[in-house]
Amino acid sequence: MIYVKNLSKTFGDNQVLANIDAHIRPGEKVVIIGPSGSGKSTFLRCLNLLEQPTGGTITFDGQEITDPHTDINKVRRHMGMVFQHFNLFANLTVKKNIMLAPVRLKLMSKEEAEAEAMRLLKLVNLEDKADVYPVQLSGGQKQRIAIVRSLAMKPKVMLFDEPTSALDPEMVGEVLELMKKLADDGMTMVVVTHEMGFAREVATRVLFMDSGVIKEENEPGAFFENPKDPRLQDFLSKVL
Amino acid sequence: MEAWWEGVQKGIYQTFIYKGNYIYFVKGVRITLLVTALALVLGVVLGVLVAVIRSAHDQQPANKKNPVLGILDGICKFYLTVIRGTPMMVQLLIMWFVLWPILFPGSTRGTDGNLIRCAVLAFGINSGAYVAEIVRSGIMSIDKGQMEAGRSLGLNYINTMRFIIVPQAFKNVLPALGNELITLLKETSIVTVIGLKDLTKGAMIVQANTYQALVPFLGIAVIYLAMVMVLSWLLGKMERRLRKSDLR
Repeated sequence: MIYVKNLSKTFGDNQVLANIDAHIRPGEKVVIIGPSGSGKSTFLRCLNLLEQPTGGTITFDGQEITDPHTDINKVRRHMGMVFQHFNLFANLTVKKNIMLAPVRLKLMSKEEAEAEAMRLLKLVNLEDKADVYPVQLSGGQKQRIAIVRSLAMKPKVMLFDEPTSALDPEMVGEVLELMKKLADDGMTMVVVTHEMGFAREVATRVLFMDSGVIKEENEPGAFFENPKDPRLQDFLSKVL
Repeated sequence: MEAWWEGVQKGIYQTFIYKGNYIYFVKGVRITLLVTALALVLGVVLGVLVAVIRSAHDQQPANKKNPVLGILDGICKFYLTVIRGTPMMVQLLIMWFVLWPILFPGSTRGTDGNLIRCAVLAFGINSGAYVAEIVRSGIMSIDKGQMEAGRSLGLNYINTMRFIIVPQAFKNVLPALGNELITLLKETSIVTVIGLKDLTKGAMIVQANTYQALVPFLGIAVIYLAMVMVLSWLLGKMERRLRKSDLR
């Protein structure tokens, strides 16, 4: 579904990604872990071109999105993204946050979008928050709404950029719960996270990134029980 | 003391009542408010446009700058430099005596209508330059995650600006915009130099007819003050309404 070939990204003299190759198949749940500064967030943000790669190609659904002639706005409709800091639109109520993109992009009428928003809010048990502004919500509530805001676009793949890193510990669970539910429903997911439990339980494949390259990838069982790369062994010994 | 008070009474009579002089003030207030309001609209439209162009240009990744945006940004910078670098009165004189005959050769007569249109254009263009920088500071104050969230949902740059960034920026810069509006209202008094009969010109005419200075000029000072106070009150109300989304 997403083919990444030879992807590089440099900020000035600093090479953040070095010739990365990866392939994400439909239905896969790929979890990316690694120390901070390893380039995992940059990699994820390159997948929907929030970060412009300096080299290589990314192909999504048969379309080369790194081609400058591709309408990236059209591509992004099919790629949901969830951020570490939620990024709910502060000037809109919860319901309008969810409705904005589908209505403005003429994918749904206002009534359809509203019905869809309420259905999604019910899904995360937050229908009573439909008309409040984001500032009145807890972190966990914000993140759950950010996730369903992406879902309202009916994406083919969801990208998660450290979705639980900015949450109070007791709110991590509710967000992971929702992500598990998504995974069970067959959503294709790419998740950058420090939640090893989630990686072990939900991932179909785990990637370890360090200094801009993918050092190791494997299915979670072997990845955690039998790591081969010395840097990964060191990393796991510190976080597990 | 008695004589002074009598003088003031006579001044009030001659300024407002004698020969229906009050009409100069009534009409003057109307013109002052009209020019201010229309110039404000023009200034805000121009200002937002320039601010968005400048921000769009600055937010591009360094390695792929859009050349069209580069040219537009250059034009905007030129506009800001010239307008902010020359006195308002000079701009007004140039607009009426130099540009107007070139732009609208058919309407150079000093009728109220022509003078008002010219003043609105001159003040709007002037105000736009200041509004642009105010709005740009507002746009820059918004967390860049808001833009990223909008873009990641498939909204284009313009729509994200329009529905997400600019509304939040506006709320943040409302106090500064209010300041600009108040400055604009008071600055319109220099339309007297092209002969438009605004509030200040009204007082000058009354002074010339009656030889009274104290009452007309203190009078318009009080009127300007009252208008500014009403404006400040309205702005305060608007600010509280826009702050709705910040209340916990």
